[in-house]
Amino acid sequence: MRRGSMMGGIALATLLAHSTAIAQERNLAFISCPIVRDTKTVPCWLAEYGGETYYLGIQTDVSADFYPPSLGHQVLVEGEKTDDARICGGIPLKNVVVSVMPERADSCQTLLMAEERYNLPFEPPRPPGPSTGRLAFAYPQPDKPQPPYQPKSFTLHYDFDATVGFKHPRFLILVMDYAQLTGAKSISIVGHRGRTALSDGGMLVERDGLAEIRAKEVSELLRGAGLTAPNYDVSWVDEPETGDSSNRRVTITVKP
Amino acid sequence: MRRHVPAALLLSSALLFGTLASFQATASKADSGSVVREAPREWWSPGDERLIPEFVTYKNEWGELGLYLEGEPVQTKGHAFFEPLGPNGRACVSCHQPSDGMSLSVTSIQQRWRDTGGKDPIFAKFDGANCPTLPAGDPASHSLLLTRGLFRISLPWPPKAPDGKSIDPEFTIEVVRDPTGCNTDAKYGLTSANPMISVYRRPRPVANTKYTTHQRFGVSPFIGKNGLPTARDPETGKPVSMNLMADARHPTLKMQARDAAATHLEFAGRLTDGQIAEIEDFERRIYTAQVRLIQAGSLVEPDGPPAFGPRNLAKGEAGVLGNNTTRYVFPMGDAWKEAKPGETAEQRAKRQAIRRGHDIFFFRTFWIKDSMHLNTVGLGNPTKRTCATCHGMHMTGMDSSNGWMDIGTTNLPWAKEVPLNPWNKQTPDLPLFKITCKPAVLPHPYLGRVFYTQDPGRALSSGKCNDVGTIVMQQFRGLASRAPYFSNGSAANIRELVDFYDRRYNIQFTEQERLDLETFLASL
Repeated sequence: MRRGSMMGGIALATLLAHSTAIAQERNLAFISCPIVRDTKTVPCWLAEYGGETYYLGIQTDVSADFYPPSLGHQVLVEGEKTDDARICGGIPLKNVVVSVMPERADSCQTLLMAEERYNLPFEPPRPPGPSTGRLAFAYPQPDKPQPPYQPKSFTLHYDFDATVGFKHPRFLILVMDYAQLTGAKSISIVGHRGRTALSDGGMLVERDGLAEIRAKEVSELLRGAGLTAPNYDVSWVDEPETGDSSNRRVTITVKP
Repeated sequence: MRRHVPAALLLSSALLFGTLASFQATASKADSGSVVREAPREWWSPGDERLIPEFVTYKNEWGELGLYLEGEPVQTKGHAFFEPLGPNGRACVSCHQPSDGMSLSVTSIQQRWRDTGGKDPIFAKFDGANCPTLPAGDPASHSLLLTRGLFRISLPWPPKAPDGKSIDPEFTIEVVRDPTGCNTDAKYGLTSANPMISVYRRPRPVANTKYTTHQRFGVSPFIGKNGLPTARDPETGKPVSMNLMADARHPTLKMQARDAAATHLEFAGRLTDGQIAEIEDFERRIYTAQVRLIQAGSLVEPDGPPAFGPRNLAKGEAGVLGNNTTRYVFPMGDAWKEAKPGETAEQRAKRQAIRRGHDIFFFRTFWIKDSMHLNTVGLGNPTKRTCATCHGMHMTGMDSSNGWMDIGTTNLPWAKEVPLNPWNKQTPDLPLFKITCKPAVLPHPYLGRVFYTQDPGRALSSGKCNDVGTIVMQQFRGLASRAPYFSNGSAANIRELVDFYDRRYNIQFTEQERLDLETFLASL
């Protein structure tokens, strides 16, 4: 191997390692008390970690990708730190996912009043009162499947330690629609649980048995909603997978 | 052996007569307002032979209620809604009185007690007494009906699924207070051979039902609040809105009618398809709303607000969500913005109060906090919103679907309770249950793993910990005719209803805001 190439390889490796380190530094996963700050329009949500304040998102409506957390509970925040201008006094996080931690945390009660300096730099897509005639966001409408129908997979994502909730009906309906359209013969459901590496070095693992609970619950929901004709193959991976929020999931494969 | 009557009931009895006296005074005061006539409310007895016309009005404390019957008039003779079908002499109309907005006001209940000496079928011991074991004819035995307008609802424990199978509940329930004696009774109680839980609830109005049974916005195969399967109409197989009953335990008018016949009417047989069809036909055609308000005058003039009156309800679009551009929850239009020729100063002032009350309902933000199935559905806790956030269905102010929430009307610490101290002689009149969410489920997000309730609400059907104390919200129409309010009758009048929200959510209404909101709600 030529020296120059070797040096280039070392440089590249160093660069990659450096990039990875930066990415790891920018990726945050922490638990803290959420903070809600009023504004002239809608409230914004923040969380503090490592002496810094992060902006999580704003109150909109059920059509949003971001659902604000809850006072009275801690929140697990997973996201990527950005260099964007602060919003509501906090550093914006990209691809932020928040999970309301299940147990009560009565000390988490910080509600900050509106201050002139903390106005939102944009028009909120949904005012605090009644809507302007539509939901704040429109769900992307999937193309209507055309025959010949193929097996198709759907993924439900979960808050930390959670089972099915208000977020899931719109995805379950997609499963129902596809299964009914294609006259599905079988539905395969696989439950998972996750393990989150926290930025402070700690590890947060979802409760034992949750992968099974999630998988069985989804099959019961689909059957309960009238999807009784297909055969169900329900399984789960009990070993928690380490990584980000995407590990907290159930995959559903509809086979025509 | 004569059953021991708790001191609470004796006190309730004494309070009842005090309440009766104050009602008389209230009625006289209302009469001085210039519109309400001396005529008392009209009681419809089962088996009365009458013709229900297209339109009829009844006086109430706030003015006048209207009933509009879409289509052909109904002859009550032989009609399944109006005839006594069971052995206790009740008919559907017993608890769904036209002059009470097709519900039953405590004013009418008290009047009926006076008129019949407690012999009217509404006082049947099965559910018109605090417990069937209590002595008949004693007002103390019927104190919850006489003071709060509450009937006993007896439900199996553990809950039963629609297919009759037992549901394994997520929580245990313990009776910690039983002033009626029914929840610890050897025959009717939780530890009886046929374990039952008795809760006490108001009859809901049977009118404007195209709104309570719609199959449009928000009705899907899965419940929007928790992702569970939505109940379906067994005839059509379609998902339903689950907004009909306080606990959504019966999803259709037909199923509710059959259940009511078997329980409230004590009818041992099975209603014929013809009887069911007759009941449903009437319930789908009858509309009710206030049509006149003292001082404001008519609410239903041709150029009046399109929100008001039963004819507008009949014309309205069902199952759609209100917004602030094209379809307000209660549309006011431009009516009454400017003074009308011939409008008196008094009339003008009252109509302006109604408009202001509407705007408070719609635009006055406050922090809604710790309310199960509202703060848990993506808005955050707390969320800065308005009355119309939850009460969003066009024309009725109901939730658009699956409308059970816990705002604290039955769950402690928010539910109305008697202050306990050495100086207060009043004792609690409602049961109290201790709820413990089982270790295998997550705790209730706002109340923790152990908490207390006067009525577990939806959870008595679903078995879900997070459903404890959740009640399906009601329509806002004909309110002036059917006090008291909330499922447990804990708000004696519209003012107390407004005050509950003010206290619960720290809204800090001004006195003027309270008056305006009260006036607006009475106009519906």
